[in-house]
Amino acid sequence: MTVDVSTAYLLDVAQDKLVEAQVWDAITDQQINDWETLWAKATAEGMVRLADAGIPRGKWPQSLRWNWQKKAQASQAVLFKPGFCVMCQDQTQGLMYLDLARYRARLPSQYGKHLVYVDFVESAPWNRADLLGGVKYRGVGSILLRAAIEMSRAENFGGRIGLHALPQSEEWYRTKCGMTDLDLDPGKQNLRYFEMTAQQADAFVAKGYSK
Amino acid sequence: MLAAKKTMTLNLTDAEMAALEELCAKKELNKTSVLRQALRLYQLVETRVEKGDKLYFEDEKSQNKSEVVML
Repeated sequence: MTVDVSTAYLLDVAQDKLVEAQVWDAITDQQINDWETLWAKATAEGMVRLADAGIPRGKWPQSLRWNWQKKAQASQAVLFKPGFCVMCQDQTQGLMYLDLARYRARLPSQYGKHLVYVDFVESAPWNRADLLGGVKYRGVGSILLRAAIEMSRAENFGGRIGLHALPQSEEWYRTKCGMTDLDLDPGKQNLRYFEMTAQQADAFVAKGYSK
Repeated sequence: MLAAKKTMTLNLTDAEMAALEELCAKKELNKTSVLRQALRLYQLVETRVEKGDKLYFEDEKSQNKSEVVML
């Protein structure tokens, strides 16, 4: 497998400085191994923390149940499902799978046009305040979303992207990413659907890194 | 970040080129993007059919379903 790597920057929260990271246009055995070992250990610690805090299981981040090994197997050599990851300090900081074929835009201004659908995106457990209370690196989600926009532009889709947000991420997509909220979708586990136009994509990319 | 690509020459009939150009105009895509999208969909359908799935078109109004026979 040929992997293309580009440079990006994350905020090291403890040191309050930007550190170099790499965006890979693939998810390989290395990332799945990190998920099975490093992510699993930190997730287990996070689940203990949530349980100790008395947070009911129904309110735990739903992505904790995602199995990236199965997703990687299902996406292997499938052209419409490219994977991406963010690496920093030789550890996987975030994972994402896109869908390039099965979704079309729903916003009236771009209805029926092609877009890149963000099927799954997740930051490492140590980058999630909702799980472990603190954050090691900030900016993983933004980098991955920008990768989705870049893919959309490269495919001639104009930067248009769409996704169904897990409840804990809705506010981030709405306010930080500037995506349009198209309401709950009964056809997709009642998750809220968000879409980004070419203009919104331009604005998001131009904004660059923001805390 | 985008993967390196290989170039190929494609020979099309007038009718095929006309169909490709019509799709490009309709979808606001260039020829490469249309063909890449077609390849993805072909692979998707082929994989599902190989697994034993069937491909249907459904008329929303009449609820009529017609199977697309894949050769």
